[in-house]
Amino acid sequence: MDYLLDRKQEGLQKKTRTFLEKACPESVVREAREDEDGYSPKLWKKIAKRGWLGLALPEQYGGSGGSLLDLAVLNEEIGRAVCPGPHLSTMLSGLILLDAGNASQKKTLLPQIAAGELIAALALTEPQSAWNGNSVEPAGITVKAVPEGNKYVINGTKLLVYDAHIADAILCVARTKARSKGGDGITLFLVDAKSPGLKCKPLKTTAYDKPCEVVFKKVQVPKSSIVGKVDQGWAPLAKVLQIGAVLTCAQMVGSSQKALELAVDHAKTRMQFDMPIGVHQYVQGHCIDVLWYSETSRWLTYQAAWKLSEGLPAEMEVAMAKAWTNKAHEKACWHAHQVLAGVGYTAQKGAMSLYSMKGLSLQNYLGETDYYLEKIAKEMEKWPAPEQPHGKPLGFWGTPIEEQTPAWEPWRQMREGKKTW
Amino acid sequence: MEFRFTKEQEKLRKKIRNFFLKELPEDFGRSGGDMNEQAQAFMRGFQEKTAAAGYLTSGWEKKYGGMGLGHIEQGIVDEEVGYAGIGWPSNLGLHLAAPAVFLFGTEEQKKKFIPALARGEQIWFEAFTEPQAGSDEANQQTRAVQEGDYFVLNGQKTFISGGYKPDFLYTLARTSDSVPKHRGISLFLIPADLPGISYRPLPTIGGGVQNDIFFSDVKVHKEYLLGELNRGFYHAMATFEFERTGTANSGRAKRALEEFVQFCQEEKRNGKPLFADPAVRKSLAEMAIEIEIWRLICWKAVWWFGNRNKLGPMHYDLSGMCAKRFNTSHAERMSEILGALGQIRQGSKWTKLRGAVERRWRAARSLHAGGTIEIYKYAIARRGLSLPRIPAKLNVQIGRALQEQKK
Repeated sequence: MDYLLDRKQEGLQKKTRTFLEKACPESVVREAREDEDGYSPKLWKKIAKRGWLGLALPEQYGGSGGSLLDLAVLNEEIGRAVCPGPHLSTMLSGLILLDAGNASQKKTLLPQIAAGELIAALALTEPQSAWNGNSVEPAGITVKAVPEGNKYVINGTKLLVYDAHIADAILCVARTKARSKGGDGITLFLVDAKSPGLKCKPLKTTAYDKPCEVVFKKVQVPKSSIVGKVDQGWAPLAKVLQIGAVLTCAQMVGSSQKALELAVDHAKTRMQFDMPIGVHQYVQGHCIDVLWYSETSRWLTYQAAWKLSEGLPAEMEVAMAKAWTNKAHEKACWHAHQVLAGVGYTAQKGAMSLYSMKGLSLQNYLGETDYYLEKIAKEMEKWPAPEQPHGKPLGFWGTPIEEQTPAWEPWRQMREGKKTW
Repeated sequence: MEFRFTKEQEKLRKKIRNFFLKELPEDFGRSGGDMNEQAQAFMRGFQEKTAAAGYLTSGWEKKYGGMGLGHIEQGIVDEEVGYAGIGWPSNLGLHLAAPAVFLFGTEEQKKKFIPALARGEQIWFEAFTEPQAGSDEANQQTRAVQEGDYFVLNGQKTFISGGYKPDFLYTLARTSDSVPKHRGISLFLIPADLPGISYRPLPTIGGGVQNDIFFSDVKVHKEYLLGELNRGFYHAMATFEFERTGTANSGRAKRALEEFVQFCQEEKRNGKPLFADPAVRKSLAEMAIEIEIWRLICWKAVWWFGNRNKLGPMHYDLSGMCAKRFNTSHAERMSEILGALGQIRQGSKWTKLRGAVERRWRAARSLHAGGTIEIYKYAIARRGLSLPRIPAKLNVQIGRALQEQKK
């Protein structure tokens, strides 16, 4: 057991934090909200230079060969700064290409991803799948890709696709075979964002992070754009969705940690009635709850990240981390808001709302709470009955307590109505 | 970062689990309460057997009857004890009082008091709480007046846990009035059968056995004073750092959930297993997450304690909060699932789960033992988050002003 990051990870955490404190203050986050593209290409260049995008990609492809745990550490810092940009989309697309891409795709595309020269968006969610709660299940995929000669033609609508409007390529999760025919029937296509018939429209959402409506209208894609095997695209995707879910949790952990610092700092410095408001138990209670939600999320998240990093089966750990952190982050931010009160409620300035608004986006991405709770319940159904002891039964524990003769004198006396004191 | 145990640690866990599975009777503890002669005789014997196998005091040094195991190993032993549903009769003596003897006792005292306790032969009560001294532990009113080689004790303790005949009382008493109140208290380990000590049962709604203890001119030889005169409060505070049976609690709760899941698979309602009900499924899944959080938080505390020379003291520890919040959550969720039939006490053919859920619900009405959740929060707010506090030296003034308010 070890709850500490190793030295390299501590270094990564420290350097990333220092960098973002300087390069991504509140003003940069607010600018991105107003900006049409929703990010700063200048910041993106710096991020790419720091090797974020290739952190978990092998060195042979221009990455730094880091682990998934390193990626979680990085994402906690991203969450702590509410750093805008297509980093998560690009990282996840890179991981999918790494796992499912052919040699030529990996050789060509991964170095571009690592260098920040290729921005990719993962088009997974659809209007119905988001509504029906199966956005991370093959059953939720209805966007169709039909073979036509040496091409495929994609039709359908994806919704809440992050960074599609600024992407160079869209990794489209499409159905190439009906489920009834067996297998998952899913194929992944890396679609050129400039393809005719492909329209990306950013939506205005709570967090202003511009997830898109992506409409495929008879979009033609060459066979070479297929990533992985036809009709068998879900398996490599599923692994990356697990990672993605944990990375959203890592961002929420960083965000709730920051919310704690904002709340505690305010509680110590805000004076009312001639004393800091943090002296009051109700205010302390809120701060403690921020700590509670952030600390509990932290360890569920890092356990899941560590397990994925070690290549160990982690479905339950991921499900637990995501189901809990989704709700916990919302509550952590709520409690922090109560401490900050008016100061955290202004729309044009103040950091707190940036965290709570972004939280709504993170908690709904890559699997909602109820989806993961049901997953956990299904697994619990398989739990074996706990093994009972083997010794011969002794028979005296079944007597109701009131009828048992106490062994110790004062209790026996009391039962008999006598006094010994 | 690593969230797993070594092969040796897993082997140890398996060994202990198998030991308990072999030694415990099939119907072990399936009613709660171990007040009666037969149950107590069994538990005492089993405790001694476990001590002989080395698992009772696994973390103690070998010269004191332990196995000298590390903190993770101790945590595993505790977790398995909880998972098996065991509550050692000597639990408080082993976990709270013995560390005080180790830290502050003389070599004489260690030789005199420890071996029998380590063999599982003795029961020690932790007798700190008084009618006027609960959360305000330093507000001790029991007096120990020095007369030659003896201290004469007068006073009362209350809510003292224990249903077995005690051998010793690990207790605090006031030995000086002339200083701030926490500086005039001394720590004692008193033979429980000295003339002048009497016991009054205090049945609780939760089923846990508690007592009033009365001291009436009890003559206690000075050899039973632990540590320095008037430093008792600080000694006691120091030993609370050693209280690391968090994993026993989480292990116990894990077992309770597993039993309950089994129950939900077997019991039918409206023709279908309880497990088929979406509301039940959701609640069970949420409980499973809470167990996992509890486990991770408790192990963090165990791991940190083992590394405290490197890491310093923990600023905050949420394992107490987990125990209180999640015990309450699980007791209430399970009770809710059972509905109206969940209130039937053990002994009836209509009783569910042999009354275990009903008992736990009662016990969870207040989980103040060992420190109220409010005291825990105080500690987290002050030590963990460095939030401001009213200086204690103003307490008397504030108390007086509040009394004035009442009029």
